[in-house]
Amino acid sequence: MRLLRWGLRASLLLMLTPVPAAAHTGSLSGGFLGGFTHPLFGPDHVVAMVAVGLWGAFLGAPAMFVLPIVFPLVMAVGGVLGILGVSLPGAEIAIAASAIVLGLMVASAARPPLWLAATIVGAFAIFHGYAHGAELPAGTDAAAYSIGFVMATGLLHLTGISLGLTVRWPAGRVGVRGTGAAIACAGLVFLWRLA
Amino acid sequence: MALALLALLPIEEAAAHPPFAGATGFYGGLLHPLFVPIHALAVLGLGLLIGQQRPRWRWPVPVAYAAGLGTGFAAMISAFAPQFSAEVLLAVAAIIGALIALARPVPALVGSVLALVVGIALALDSPPGGISVRDANVILLGTFCGAVILLWAVLEVAGMLRGDWQKLAVRIIGSWVAASAVLVLTWRFAR
Repeated sequence: MRLLRWGLRASLLLMLTPVPAAAHTGSLSGGFLGGFTHPLFGPDHVVAMVAVGLWGAFLGAPAMFVLPIVFPLVMAVGGVLGILGVSLPGAEIAIAASAIVLGLMVASAARPPLWLAATIVGAFAIFHGYAHGAELPAGTDAAAYSIGFVMATGLLHLTGISLGLTVRWPAGRVGVRGTGAAIACAGLVFLWRLA
Repeated sequence: MALALLALLPIEEAAAHPPFAGATGFYGGLLHPLFVPIHALAVLGLGLLIGQQRPRWRWPVPVAYAAGLGTGFAAMISAFAPQFSAEVLLAVAAIIGALIALARPVPALVGSVLALVVGIALALDSPPGGISVRDANVILLGTFCGAVILLWAVLEVAGMLRGDWQKLAVRIIGSWVAASAVLVLTWRFAR
């Protein structure tokens, strides 16, 4: 219950944070707010990040903690490639595929070994990081922007974990697996739009 | 955890309005480490790492940080022209973030070296905007106090995070610190 309370607090923060910040800036471009909203305004990012958290919660300890730690670290590698302008073909397809694969993992209640789960999540993290790095707006305060999008990504993971903790109840288990299926379907829609 | 997250929120406003524009003198210096994202990131990481490594790490690490700050400011007063201080700070922040995420025992000597480098780099990356030597020295004194208070505040909060879940939250924040530092460092070299 304590974890659930912490998760709910984190989720609450995630919902609350953009409101006061937007009131001060009047612009959603650049800086901390630009970085923070970048993952939130991309549905493909949102569903994949939530799926990472859901899957982590489904897998239980230690995966629940390892995945949200691995993701930002590997995502930074992708971000470096994006900032340096290194060509990474098929990044958008891989991002859509991440929603499909991670959604299916949750929907099917897959329980691979931790190293495999971390590898799958890490591989997709590179493409998500690449997209964030490549789309860093010119003239932006890079420090605030990067901190913003890393934080938003992490809070999306925590949101997924919070939702995923409901698997301890039968109805919650059905709900989480259903959410995984919906995320996989959303991934298919993203892929179809790219075609 | 919630307080730490909330503390990071005003960064957008601060970036748009640097503390020196509205807050000058000692107060401007005091706020400088808190409102410069790179500095806040590095000190947040160092404070969490020290808190995580307690009780193995005792007073030498924070003292090394304060000594680093003093050394950096002394170098600046001596008209030393710093180069790549922000990049060094980011590189050390990335190492510190990775160490927090790994959550393995780290020798106190390594911690002291990291703290010393953070202190020196932070000081050298805080050139005062004063128009006279006296004003500049007052700003530097404010920055020294602000940097020490910020680390102390993070240390106090980190010291309270003793629960299993709280320790994991610290590791997750460490991964955020490392990721952010690596990205900003790359951006600085690529621009």
